Amino acid sequence: MASLFESHLLTVLVFLPSAAAALLLLFPERRSREAKIFAIGASIVELALALPLWSRFDTSSGAFQFVERTSWIPALGISYTLGIDGISLLLILLTVVLTPVSLLFSLTHVEKSARAFSIAFLVLETGINGTLAALDLALFYVFWEVMLVPMYFIIGIWGGARRIYAAMKFFLFTMAGSLLMFLAILYLAVRHRAATGQWSFLLADLATLTYPSMAVQTVLFLAFALAFAIKVPVFPLHTWLPDAHTEAPTAGSIMLAGVLLKLGVYGYLRFALPLFPDAALRFAPWVGVLGVVGVVYGAFVAYAQKDMKRLVAYSSVSHLGLVVIGIGAFTSTALTGSVLQMINHGLSTGALFLLVGVLYERTHTREIADYGGIAGVVPVTTGLFLVATFSSIGLPGLNGFVGEFLILLGTWTSDHRWWAVAAATGVILSAIYMLSLVQRVFWNPITREENRRLPEIRASELVAAGTLIALMIWIGARPNDVLDRIRPSVEEVRRSVAAHKVVATSSRPSRALRLRRGQAPRGISPEGAGARP
Amino acid sequence: MGPNDLAAAAPEICLAAAGCLMVLLDAFAPSARRWLATLSLAAIALSIWFLLAAPHGLSFGGRYETSDLTAAAGLFAGATAAVAILVAKSYLQRTGEEKGEFYALLLWGHLGVSLMTRGLDLLVVFIGLETLSLSFYVLAAFFRTIHASSEAGLKYFLTGAFASAFTLYGIALLFGKAGSVRIAALARPDLGADPLVAFGLLLLLVGFGFKMSLAPFHAWAPDVYQGMPTPAVAYLSVAPKGASLIVLYRVLTAAFAAGMPDRFRTAIAVLAILSMSLGNVVALAQRDIKRLLAYSGIAHMGYVTIALAVFGRDALAAVIVYFFAYVVSNAGAFAAVAVLYRDETKPHPVGLLAGEGRRSPFASAVLALCLFSLAGIPATAGFIGKFFVFKSAIEGGLYALAIVGVLNSLVSIGYYLKVVYVLYMQDPVEEGAPPPLAPADRLVLGLCGAGILALGIFPAGVWNLARRAAASLPFGP
Repeated sequence: MASLFESHLLTVLVFLPSAAAALLLLFPERRSREAKIFAIGASIVELALALPLWSRFDTSSGAFQFVERTSWIPALGISYTLGIDGISLLLILLTVVLTPVSLLFSLTHVEKSARAFSIAFLVLETGINGTLAALDLALFYVFWEVMLVPMYFIIGIWGGARRIYAAMKFFLFTMAGSLLMFLAILYLAVRHRAATGQWSFLLADLATLTYPSMAVQTVLFLAFALAFAIKVPVFPLHTWLPDAHTEAPTAGSIMLAGVLLKLGVYGYLRFALPLFPDAALRFAPWVGVLGVVGVVYGAFVAYAQKDMKRLVAYSSVSHLGLVVIGIGAFTSTALTGSVLQMINHGLSTGALFLLVGVLYERTHTREIADYGGIAGVVPVTTGLFLVATFSSIGLPGLNGFVGEFLILLGTWTSDHRWWAVAAATGVILSAIYMLSLVQRVFWNPITREENRRLPEIRASELVAAGTLIALMIWIGARPNDVLDRIRPSVEEVRRSVAAHKVVATSSRPSRALRLRRGQAPRGISPEGAGARP
Repeated sequence: MGPNDLAAAAPEICLAAAGCLMVLLDAFAPSARRWLATLSLAAIALSIWFLLAAPHGLSFGGRYETSDLTAAAGLFAGATAAVAILVAKSYLQRTGEEKGEFYALLLWGHLGVSLMTRGLDLLVVFIGLETLSLSFYVLAAFFRTIHASSEAGLKYFLTGAFASAFTLYGIALLFGKAGSVRIAALARPDLGADPLVAFGLLLLLVGFGFKMSLAPFHAWAPDVYQGMPTPAVAYLSVAPKGASLIVLYRVLTAAFAAGMPDRFRTAIAVLAILSMSLGNVVALAQRDIKRLLAYSGIAHMGYVTIALAVFGRDALAAVIVYFFAYVVSNAGAFAAVAVLYRDETKPHPVGLLAGEGRRSPFASAVLALCLFSLAGIPATAGFIGKFFVFKSAIEGGLYALAIVGVLNSLVSIGYYLKVVYVLYMQDPVEEGAPPPLAPADRLVLGLCGAGILALGIFPAGVWNLARRAAASLPFGP
C-alpha cells in the first residue's frame, strides 16, 4: 500500500487540487465561507501529502525520483511521465506551502465570488505542480500553459483598478514566449523521429539528440530561452511584472512572485541546458549580463516607487536578477545558491506581499506616503514585516543570507568576477530600498490620524505569515537540510551540459567547442572549478 | 444499381427522406411540430449508423466511396448537425419560427455535405455542393421579416453562385484534359505537370476556398453569419468547410500523386497566411460576436490550410482531428451565442454579454471554454487540433508557415480574451435573473464543454481514428 502510494504520489499531488476544485463546483454559490474553508482544507491535505516527498527523497542521488510513466498519445510517443529531482522537489514544496498561505490570507479578504476564487487557486496549484513534475515536453507544455488561465482570472476578476490591462498583458507576454517554444518542442520530436524512427517527447530521449549545425541549436535554444526569460522575467522583458503583481489580489501576487517567476529559471535549468548545451554555454555570458542589469535596474526602480506593492514587485526583478547571475556563472556553488535563492525569494517576497496586503486591507491604500509611524500601533505586523525584510536583504542568520552568499561566492570563483561585484551592489541596494520602505511605513511620525486606530493582524493572517517566517528561520539555521537536496541535482545539471551536440563540422569551431578543447576558463568549463561550500 | 449501392447510399436516402418528412409533418400535422427536432436528431443518428454499417469499398461504378475517411467525415459533420438541431429547438421557439422547413433544409444541407465527402466523381461532388448551398441560401434568409437576414440570404446567394461557377469551370477544364469527371482519372501520370490541369485545380481551390471562407474569398462570411439564424451558422461554419477541405485533399492527392508542385504549394501557403493574418487582425476590431466568430473562422481555416500545403496522409489526419476539435469549439461557441442572446431581432454586440458570467454561469462557462479552445490553450480540443497541424508543418519542413501560424495564435488571444473579459469582468447591463436554460440547450452546451475537455485531455483516440481515416484515402503516396 505504501509503495503504491509512493509510486503515484506525484500524480496525487498534481491532481488532488483539481479534484477538490471539481468538488467545489458542487457547493452552492452563496456558501462562500464554507467554500474557502474547504479549499484551505484541501490545500493543507495537499501539503501533508507532500511531506513524504521531503522525507523519502534520496539525497545521495541527482537522478529523477518518484518517477511515474504511462503512455498518453502512444502513436506520437507522448507519455505522462512525472519525476522530480532536488530542484523540482523544493519548488513543489514551496508551492504547496504558499497555496494554503494565500488561501488562508484570503479567508477574510475575498468577498466577490469566493467559490470561483478558490477554484482558480486550486487549478493553479495543479498547473504549477504539473509543470514542475513533468518530464515529457508535451506534458510540460500543457501544464505550463494551463497555469496561465487561472492566473488570468485571478488578476482580472479580483485585481486592483487596472486589473484588466494587467491580466491581458500578463497573458499575452507569457503566451508570446511560449508559442515559439511550442514549435521548438515539435521540431525536437520530429528530429528525434527522423534520427531514430521513434516518436518521443521524453526529455531523456530528446536530450540525446544532436543538431546539424550550431545555428539550428541556437535558434531552438533562443525559442526556449525567450519563453523562460519572459517568465523570470529577465530585464528588457520584465514590463508585465510590475503591472501584474501590483494589480493582482494579494494572494495572486504571492503565487506569482512566490512560484510562477521561478518556473522560468526552472525551465532553463531543466530543459534549455540539457537540450541545447552548446548554445547555452555560448549564451551564458549574456545570461549573466542580463542578470546584472536586472539586479541594478530593479533595485534603482524599486527605490523610486511610491507604491508599496510596486516596490516589492520591482525588488523581485532585482532578486531574480541575482538568481540569473548565478545561473550565468554556472559554477556548482553559484547554481546551488541560485536554486536556494529561488526558495528564499518565494518565502520572503511571499511574506512581504502578504503583509503589504494586511495593511492594504485595513487602509485601502498602497501609497507609502499614507503610512508612517504605525510601528507602535501594529507591533506584531511590524515585527513580521521586519523579519521578512531582513530575509529579503540577506541578513545573516536568515535564509536570504545563505543563498546570496553562495551566489556571490560561486560567481567570484567563475571567470566573471565583476558580476559578483555588481551582484554585491544589488545586495546593498536592496538593503537601502527595503529599509527605507520600513522606515517610511512603520517609523517616522504618524502622517494620518486614522492610522492611530489601525487594527492589528488577524489570527488567520498571523498563521499565514508566521508559517513563512518560521521557514525563513529554519532555512537560515539549517541550510544544509535544503542544500543536501539541491547539490546532487545541480551536479546532474552541470553534467548534462558536458556533452556537446553539434554533429556537423564547421570550418571555424564555435566558442562552446573551443571552450571544451581545454581553453576553457575556470567557471564555465563543464568540469568546473567552483568550490563547494 | 445493386444492393451494395443501396447500402452505400442509405445514409443520404435517410437524410433526404427525413427532410421531406419534416416538410410534410409541418404542413399536415402542425401539432407534431414539437417533435421535429427529435425526429431530425433521430434521422442524423440513423444516417450515421447506416454510414458506419455500410460495407467499405466503392459503389455506383466507382463514383461513391465508403471508407474510414467518409466515416470520420460523416461523424464530425453529423455531430455538427446534431449540435445545430439541439440548439435550434428552443431558439426557434423563442423566435416564434418553429417550422419544419428549418429542419428540412438543415437535413438537406447535411445531405449535400455527405455527398461532397463521399463523391469520387466531380459531378457528384458538385451536386453535393449545390444541395448544400441551395439549402443554406434559404436558411440564411430564414427570418423573412428581419432585414439583416434577407440581406444575408441575398449576399450568400450572389457570392455562392459566383463560387459555384468557378468550381464548375474548374471541373470542365479537368474534364477536358482527363476525359472523365472521375477524380481517379486525374491520377494519369502525364496530367500532373499539365498547366491546364493546374489551372483547373486552381479554380477548384478558389471555388472551395469560397465555401471555406479562406481569404481573399472570405468577404461573405461575416455578413452571412450575422443575419443567418445562429443554429444554422453553427452548422455552416464547421461541416461544409471540413467537407470542402476533404474534397480538395482528395482531388489534389489524385492529381499530384508524385508530390505537390512547389508553385501550387506556394499558392496554398499564400491563402493560408492571408487567411490567418487577415482573419485575426480584422477580428480584433469586431464588436459583434457573430462577426468576431466569422473572422475567427476565417483565421482557423488559414491554420488548417497549412495542413493542405503540407500534403500527405499525416497532414490529412491532422485536418480530421482539427475538424473534430472545431465542431465542439466553434459549433459550441455559436450554440452558446444562440443561448445567451435572447432577442434575435437585435444585433449581437459583445458588450451585451457583460456580467453574463454571473447571470448565466453555465452557458458563459461553456462559451469561455470554447473561446479558450479556439485560442488553442492546452488541455482543450483546440490545442490538440493546432498541435497536429503544426506538427505536420514542422514535419513537412514548412517552418515559415508554422511560425506565422503561432504568431497568429498570439494575435487571436487578444480578441478571444476580450469576450472572456466582458463575460466575467464587467458588471451586468441587464437586471434580473435570465430565463432558465432549456433542457436541450443544457444538453448541447454540456456535450460541447465535455467534448472540448475530453478531446483536449485524451486525444489518443481521435488521433488513431483520424490516422485510420487518412490511411483509407484512395489516392496519393
